[in-house]
Amino acid sequence: MTAESLSAPYTVEFPFERTVGPKIGTFLGGLRDARLYGVRTERGVLCPPLEFDPRTGAETGALVPLVTTGTVTSWTWVPSRPGDPLPHDFAWALIAIDGTIGALFHAVDVGGEFARMSTGMRVCARWRQDRIGGMRDIECFEVVP
Amino acid sequence: MSLPEPVTTMASPFRMDYTYVAGVGRSVFLRGLAERRLLARRCPGCAQVYLPPPEFCSRCLSELEAPFELDGLGAVSTFCVVNFPFPGQTIEPPYVVAYIQVHGAGTRLMHLVREVEPERVRIGMAVEPVWAPDDQLTTSLKSIQHFRPVRGADA
Ligand SMILES: [Zn+2]
Repeated sequence: MTAESLSAPYTVEFPFERTVGPKIGTFLGGLRDARLYGVRTERGVLCPPLEFDPRTGAETGALVPLVTTGTVTSWTWVPSRPGDPLPHDFAWALIAIDGTIGALFHAVDVGGEFARMSTGMRVCARWRQDRIGGMRDIECFEVVP
Repeated sequence: MSLPEPVTTMASPFRMDYTYVAGVGRSVFLRGLAERRLLARRCPGCAQVYLPPPEFCSRCLSELEAPFELDGLGAVSTFCVVNFPFPGQTIEPPYVVAYIQVHGAGTRLMHLVREVEPERVRIGMAVEPVWAPDDQLTTSLKSIQHFRPVRGADA
């Protein structure tokens, strides 16, 4: 009897779909149109939007169009894996969209050069050609030229 | 400017690719399955019999004794009838998934119970393994196709 351990490739997979509320649904619809939206709250415009303000529980207000530029407030460098938004190493980052409160989580492309990443850097959205109304309609954020 | 047409649902697929490493102890069990053998191991410290056996007792951490074979006859310990279709399902519902208490083992095996109407399955029902044909034997629990009621046994 050999003492070697057996191993095998294994995949866990489930094709979940989730329903979204009216505010997030409109935000996603905006992404499909290559436009970014936030939602009004007592504290300011929240992006990405939520249906309810997490601090007060109050229903959030009207949707407002935003610019697609922002500032990196936090980030972590990762090697690219299959299924990731970029084919080379990149950063996952929290991005404060200009004029909003909150933080949008997305990939930042600096051409695989770790040294070009910094907190406070200015970035803008790069839109995908084929958009379906989801977060991946933004391919990633890139350095503001 | 008017607002965009809202999206009502979004795809949120979950997928994780990884490598399952059986471990030395579990591999003994899996290699046994490829030979139509159910290999159990006893703990020298607390006498618990594991099927499938790991390398060490999870109660007292003793290294388990040498593997020995069980015949696979057992009883349904608990079960559920799967009625719900889901993506990737390989068996048409309804079907029965059960914990099988194999005689001589202190732990239970999860497996299918077939060759019986789901509504006739009972806790305590005597069952036996149905092994795969030779060309389908492998180092996995797929070497047992399912368990079935022991013919002539009282449930
Ligand atoms: Zn023990």
